[in-house]
This record gives sequence, C-alpha cells and structure tokens, in this order.
Amino acid sequence: MDEGEFAQLQKAVHDARRPLNRITMQSELIKLALEGAVPPDKAMAALDKIIAGCKDCSDSLSDMVAGFSPNNNDAGSSIE
Amino acid sequence: MLTVLLVDDDAEFTDVACTIIEFLGHEVLTASTLAEARDWLSKETFDHILLDFMLPDGSGLHLMESLQPEQQTRVTLITGHPSVKGIIKDMCGPNIDYLVKPIQREDLESVLKGKKQPANKRATTAITKHFGQLIGESAPMQELYKLIGRVSKTKANVMLLGESGVGKEVVAAAIHEASECEGTYVATNCGAFSKELIGSELFGHEKGAFTGAVGRKEGVFEQAENGTLFLDEITEMPIDMQPNLLRVLENKVVIRVGGTKAMPVNCRVVSATNRNMEEIAESKVLREDIYFRLAVFPITIPPLRERKEDIPLLAEYFINQLNEENDSQFRWQAVQLEKLQTYDWPGNVRELRHFVHRAAIMSDPQGTDIELPKTIESPFAKKQTLSTGLKAGRTIEEVEKELIYATLEKVDGNKTTAAEMLGISTKTLYNRLHAYGDLNSDSE
Repeated sequence: MDEGEFAQLQKAVHDARRPLNRITMQSELIKLALEGAVPPDKAMAALDKIIAGCKDCSDSLSDMVAGFSPNNNDAGSSIE
Repeated sequence: MLTVLLVDDDAEFTDVACTIIEFLGHEVLTASTLAEARDWLSKETFDHILLDFMLPDGSGLHLMESLQPEQQTRVTLITGHPSVKGIIKDMCGPNIDYLVKPIQREDLESVLKGKKQPANKRATTAITKHFGQLIGESAPMQELYKLIGRVSKTKANVMLLGESGVGKEVVAAAIHEASECEGTYVATNCGAFSKELIGSELFGHEKGAFTGAVGRKEGVFEQAENGTLFLDEITEMPIDMQPNLLRVLENKVVIRVGGTKAMPVNCRVVSATNRNMEEIAESKVLREDIYFRLAVFPITIPPLRERKEDIPLLAEYFINQLNEENDSQFRWQAVQLEKLQTYDWPGNVRELRHFVHRAAIMSDPQGTDIELPKTIESPFAKKQTLSTGLKAGRTIEEVEKELIYATLEKVDGNKTTAAEMLGISTKTLYNRLHAYGDLNSDSE
C-alpha cells in the first residue's frame, strides 16, 4: 500500500467512525431515558437512529472493501 | 455550571450531545462551521469549547486564533481520525484536551470536569453496591441481603444489632432503598440528645413549648412520613423517655412537645444498637415492651472478621473513592490485600476505611504504590475488651483476673514487669496465677 492508498484508508476509517459516534451517543441518550432523565419517546427515536447509523456504517465498510478491491485499478477512488 | 460551545458539522451528533451536556448541568450552544463558531466567540464568553477537528470550512485548529488568552477557555478537540490523535496529543497544553470518536457520556463528563479519565474507572464500576449501599459478596452478606430483601416488602419495624463500625446506618439506608417508599429517610442518634431535648427531636415542639423554642419544629417522626426513620443507639435513650416512644409506636400518632393535637404518623422505624440481645435483656437499658415493638424483625450485621473475603473488595472500593476525590492513581498489590485479611478489624468496616485513608495520605501522591504501616494495630480493640470488663454486676475477683491476664499479654508474659505494672509483688502475682490454676509448683 502506497502513501496515497494509506491516506484513502484513513479517510475511509474516519468516515466509518462518524456513524459509530452517533450510535454511541444515541445509546447514551437511551440510558438517560431509562434513568428517567429524558422523555421515553426520545429513546424510541434514538433506537431508530441507531439502526440508521448501523446501516451507514455497513455502507461505509462496503465502500471501503470495494475501494481496496484488487479488481479496482484506482484504489480508494470510490470512497472519496 | 459551565457555558460550553460545541462545534461540529454532524447535526445528529450535536443534537444528542447537547441533551447529554445539558443533563450534566451545563449550558451549551452549537456551531456547525468555523465561521459560526467565530461569530459566537465574538458575542459570548465560553468556559469550554468542544471542537471538531475537521470542519467544512477548515480545520478546527484555526479557531484557536480567535480565543482571547486572558479568558482561560478550555478546549477539547474532537477527532475521528486516528492519525490526528498523535498530533493533538503533542500540542495538548494545560487548557487543551482531546477526545477520539466514538465518544461516551463519561468522556464528556470527564473533560467538562477538567479531569483526566481515571485509569481505575473500570474497577470502580465493577464493584456491586447491593441496594445501592452495601458492598460484599461473602455468604454472611448474601444472607443479610436476603433478609433486607424480605423485610423491605413488609412494613415491619427492624432492629439492627452489630458491633460498632459494621455499617448499621448503611444497612438502614439499604432497607429504605429496597422498600421503594414515597417518603424520605431520616436518621437520628438517640444517644446524642439530653433527656430534655430528645422529646423535641423525636416528636417536635410547638412555639414557646420551652425556653428557646422560638418557633414550631417538626420531629423526626413527622419528617419521615411515608419513609424510614433510623433511630441509632436506641439503647442509649433515657429510660424515662421510652414510654413516650412506646405510645407513638403503638398508637401511630405523635403529639408535639407543648402541643395538644395528635397527628397521625406513618413510617418504618429502623433502630440500631451495638449491644447484643443478651446484653439488652440483662442490662435493662431498653424496656421489654419497646424492644418487642422495635425488634419485630431483628437483623444481626456480621462483623468484618466473619467476612474477611470481603476485605479486598472494600479496600478496593475505598481506594477508588479516594483516587476519584484526590485525582490519584493508587493501586493495591495482591500481597497488601492478603495482609489486610490477616487482621481482625475490631473497629470493623469503619476502621478499615480509616486505615485505607491513612495509608493513602502516607503514600506518594504522584505514584501508584500504597504505603502500609508494618503492623496494623488498633488501641480501640484493647480499650473495648477492658471496657466490657468494667460493667456493674461482675465480681472484683473476675475483673482482677481479667486485668492480670490483659497485663501479662501486654508484656508478653513477663511476670516481673507485669507485677510492677499491676502494683503488686511478684509473689502475689504468682499466688493469683496459682489460684487460677495457671501455674504448677515447677514453673516457679
């Protein structure tokens, strides 16, 4: 892997962390709802966002695999 | 409360982070670009800025130029980029910190407190506090938890028996916690009030009831309405005040001192004493009728020496607490925890807690090692033994024998020194030991 490809990989990982961060924070919100600190309907919305976040994360990983596939001559271009 | 500026272009993240930061008791404003953040900085003063490293109109680092140095604003850079972590770490000064995504509530709490995440955080959370209060996984404690669980489902009055320092007040609070009642938990010490004042403390008083009663006062029975009233050292309550307490327990009504109106009261009474049942019966410090009203469900709390397997857990908990309070990083070594388990702790959990505190004070605050004294000693243990020997009802011969043996133990069996300490001749000491059947003629 050359420097350019490594930079692309780092960017891909950065993008994948974004939905993971949302998932973590939404989980914290659900904990607050269970403790009674925020209304329960916020917990329901947070669960939907967690599901969406998981899908986003999965898409990012798929893009990453496609970007670094040996069949892809322009490694990393699809994850820009 | 801090005023926080959160700068991040991820709207979903800022939305939920705001809820959490507000829950933590701070005020928060948001910006999604550098330009917006600069705009806020020109209008407001912030105690803390949570700043995303990569923003649509440039790096978050550019915002540092807009900060006034005299304002001492703390900055936490947020990054999801692993390579950036190293760069930020290098530039972290006293007012700059960093967080790597994904972020948890505890991370936010930690940076907003201005403290580094304690490395022992996991250990703290791993110790279970039963009923939110009690620590220990030994068989005697499991039995105690079972009793607390059972009695909390009823309205029965509980009497807690146990040596000084076993945690009677903590158990009382655990019973209150487990009862899930509406009212509050109120604790009072019956041994701390004079005969004249205890009536006012328990039942309250009306304005002008006695000299100094400048206003109306609610008693603890009223304060604990629908909750739990903890009466510590119940056996130290003046005996002539006990009929008044009995009347409240039987009739469930209270009349304030100097008042005439009977007010209904409804609370569970948890009482405590460090005397055992035999002592209570023999010493007549508690009227029999009161005893049966209070001790519907007596619970004996085990002394620490009967649950030594809990000592490492308690020591761990206490040191974690001190680490959190003082921002230190003390760690027990296995051999130290073993040493703590060899001692009998006559002052029970209270003595252990104070011992850990003393050890932490003696240790180097910058290091992780805890400095223990070579021997663990408690003058309290000996004092307690002697004081039990000086109760009315014992013969002079009994007390004399106990004193002779206590003195011999103190001087490692040296009879000459013991005789000197006792103020008797060595011959008299030998005669006494003969009489106790502890010496034969060969040993003289």
